[in-house]
Amino acid sequence: MNSNVEPAKGAVCSKARLFDEEYLLDPYPLYQEFRDAGPVIWLEAYGLYMLPRYVETRRALEDWESFSSAGGVTMNDIMNEKLSGGLLCSDPPRHDSLRKVIERPVLPRALSQLRERVASEAKGLIERLCRQKKFDAATELAHHLPITIVSDLVGLPEEGRERMLVWAPANFDCFGPINARTNAAFPVVGEMVEYAFSQCVPGKLKPDGWAQMIWEAAHRGEVSLEDAPFMMNDYMGPSLDTTIFATTWLIWLFANNPEQWRKLRENPAMIPAAINEAVRIESPIQNFSRHVARDVEIGGVILPKGSRVIVSYGSANRDERKWGNPTEFDIMREDSNEHLGFGHGEHNCVGKNLARLEMRALLTELIPRVERFELHEAKPAINNVLHGLKTCRVTVH
Amino acid sequence: MPRVTYRLPDGRDCEVELSNGQSLMEGAIRNGIGAILGECGGSAMCATCHVYIEGGPVGALPSMCDDEDAMLEEAAAERLGNSRLSCQIRMNAALDGIVVRVPEEM
Repeated sequence: MNSNVEPAKGAVCSKARLFDEEYLLDPYPLYQEFRDAGPVIWLEAYGLYMLPRYVETRRALEDWESFSSAGGVTMNDIMNEKLSGGLLCSDPPRHDSLRKVIERPVLPRALSQLRERVASEAKGLIERLCRQKKFDAATELAHHLPITIVSDLVGLPEEGRERMLVWAPANFDCFGPINARTNAAFPVVGEMVEYAFSQCVPGKLKPDGWAQMIWEAAHRGEVSLEDAPFMMNDYMGPSLDTTIFATTWLIWLFANNPEQWRKLRENPAMIPAAINEAVRIESPIQNFSRHVARDVEIGGVILPKGSRVIVSYGSANRDERKWGNPTEFDIMREDSNEHLGFGHGEHNCVGKNLARLEMRALLTELIPRVERFELHEAKPAINNVLHGLKTCRVTVH
Repeated sequence: MPRVTYRLPDGRDCEVELSNGQSLMEGAIRNGIGAILGECGGSAMCATCHVYIEGGPVGALPSMCDDEDAMLEEAAAERLGNSRLSCQIRMNAALDGIVVRVPEEM
């Protein structure tokens, strides 16, 4: 990318390879090194800047005119080109018109209608898993709601749906700088795009589903007909692993912090705070990027127009300057809602309230039935930007 | 400490003391009042802490920001002239005695 460019004055140079497997598995010590070194890091290996602290990350996410998404939010030119002009990779006013259509089914009033259905599905699942006692929270527990209910609501054709769990993480692998992982993921994402264009079309979609609503919006002229197939990916890509990982982290965190589970059982009204705290401390999306659209000062460094900067949700959410005891999972933390795990600003996560509703439903059913979680085995899922567990075997007592 | 009364959907009145600076949403959550969901945790992003202001020192309420105004438009229960998001109202001495009604639909 910009690897031949000299870094801006004041940026701290680092040779660290953040996207190598050892750091993807445990990025936290490296994040801490970056945060201690300064507000702006130059990652020599990738030709990218990075904002490792909370204040600058938040500021960048609020200033879309300087830190543009239209220039791409991934860390490689190929993917940025492919996603250009889509929901993730656009700025106002185009972003506003796309978002208005995409977010329609997940606005508060619509979600309110869904709450009962999700609650009853969660009840059935948790009753079954509690009878079973021993299960894999990463698959048996966390997969259920996104795959049964959300996929049904989106209403994509059954044929191909089973590939979704392969496509979604591959899509996020393509957000990293070019490495072996990114290159291996491109053809898989190609499959997803092919599915969107050939299968996600009127006649094959569920008539009252969210995907069909995109086509209807296009016919009303709210977005263009050319935009519609690309927008299918906005439901497919982000609705699975993100929620699945956050749910799995919740179980893992409560298994490792039994006193926090006791506190939640004493006051279940704290569920939203617990969810925020889990998304803060183990953010399912760790890093995206922004394109510097004009020379801009941040953290005392002038980033030059045309450069690219990583916004690190995962690092900001553990910044000692912002959070007391940042590595501690504390559901009573007063400001946990200020985390950046769902992003911030124009591009804050469209599906966040749906994800919260799903996780609340599961916790609500677990609270009366489970005194403690016994953790047997946890295995990480490795991805260029996602952070999660692929296995989390527990017994409930 | 200043007090707030939550008028719950089942007809009960629940009066609690809040500390200065605590929002009416947090006050409900931390006192186990589950009728207020407060799904987003206090960022004016989910409309699940919607309340109707019913009485008390209404003149002391803070003015409404654009985010709150936009979110109230999306609330599950009907928006009325006295609709507010309880996460955007922080307790202080002047608000002592405020009464809010919690809608059935969130």
